[in-house]
Amino acid sequence: MKVTTEKKKPFIDMTAMSDVTVLLLTFFMLTSTFLQKEPTTVITPASVSEEKVPEQNLITLLVTKDSQIFMSIAGDRDSTYSSDKMREEVLKNVVAEYNKKQPNDKKIQLTNADIATFGSTHMFGLPLAQLSAWCKLPAEKRDALLDPVKNPKAGIPIDMGKDVENRNEFQQWMLALYNTSNPNLAKAVKNGKGIAIKADAATPYSVVQVVMDNLQTLKMNKFTLMTALKTEED
Amino acid sequence: MAKEKRYSEKKDVRVDFTPMVDMNMLLITFFMLCTTMIKSQTLQISLPSNEKVDKTEQNKVKQSEAVTIIVDSDIDENGVPTKDYVYYYEGMPNIDDADKDGKIDNNIMKEIEFKGNENGKAQGIRAVLQDRNKQVVEKIAALKEDWKAKKFSNKKAINDSVYQARAKEIRNDSTLTRPVIIIKATPNASYKSLVTALDEMQINNISRYQIDRINGTDSAMMADFLVARQK
Repeated sequence: MKVTTEKKKPFIDMTAMSDVTVLLLTFFMLTSTFLQKEPTTVITPASVSEEKVPEQNLITLLVTKDSQIFMSIAGDRDSTYSSDKMREEVLKNVVAEYNKKQPNDKKIQLTNADIATFGSTHMFGLPLAQLSAWCKLPAEKRDALLDPVKNPKAGIPIDMGKDVENRNEFQQWMLALYNTSNPNLAKAVKNGKGIAIKADAATPYSVVQVVMDNLQTLKMNKFTLMTALKTEED
Repeated sequence: MAKEKRYSEKKDVRVDFTPMVDMNMLLITFFMLCTTMIKSQTLQISLPSNEKVDKTEQNKVKQSEAVTIIVDSDIDENGVPTKDYVYYYEGMPNIDDADKDGKIDNNIMKEIEFKGNENGKAQGIRAVLQDRNKQVVEKIAALKEDWKAKKFSNKKAINDSVYQARAKEIRNDSTLTRPVIIIKATPNASYKSLVTALDEMQINNISRYQIDRINGTDSAMMADFLVARQK
């Protein structure tokens, strides 16, 4: 006799599962901040300091192992001084300063589209002379130029920084960042919370020292070093 | 007479949620991969201003209070630091060479390590610093017990802020014997070793420390020490 078990399609109720996943999703959406695109991954050294990095009004200086410097700026919560607007303002300031010292044929000319492109870039680090050409490239090429692995010449030019008359580009940028119309950023820089140096643990200290010396020349004596959290048992 | 059925028969409507769950899982994965949950911490430092200070106004560090820490690293052929070293000396550097044999007579430099705690006791450089800053460390430890027992207030926020304020007072109390630490880094030293040194200041509640440049005397002492160590 043939015995055939009747095949029944089992129906699993996924409603509960769906509830759980939606809850998890909401949790992740609310608690998270997006990773910002950075030219290179930097592993910061660990410290026991529990002070958190401020989210607003912060200038981050990224120092790679090969002593290239990138900078990013976080604006105020107030949308008049949003990050994008701050970047655009800083760019205009720095270009105006730069052009003062350049002969006519080397002056940087930027269109509004160039400035908007710069405004939407999280982290920047290239010599100013390459700026206007960089702004006109498609997005992937812009990222490639900022990547220190693909372009060893990336990074903001810096030197010992003792020449106050002819400031190096790093100092020009820092001055432009300091002299924005956003009063909260200037205040943050003054009380030492506005500048954060994010350097890789394996960077030679001499490289970081050059950055610190330049900041000291600009009388920005107080700043913070970004570190990862290390727990220390008592 | 039987009641006539007027309502349309209720049917159990089942919606298959499997695709919905699939989509949600995908979204969760996306959010988990693209976000940062851990925020970076910061270590605040302030450098002395660059302006020329009148020599008479400069307050000299008392010899008995000074400890100089020098951090150094081995570097490989690419210039990447591989191994960190720490040296320290207490008081004034001394490079006298009375018998002219090319060696410093009494080199007070010592080699030590960043070790942290082992079995609840401080090791390496931390033991040295803790010993020098004993009075402050003991007072802070007592304060911490009170803080853990919530003696200042039952509310966490008030308890914390009172603890922070008192701890700061103790750290800056000039009636206690407190050391002055001078941190110096050789050109090869890694950034990590400097941050570790700065971190030890926090751990040991040292309020007076500074980052300085390495000078000729320090280099001479270090060179002499390294030659002596190799023998």
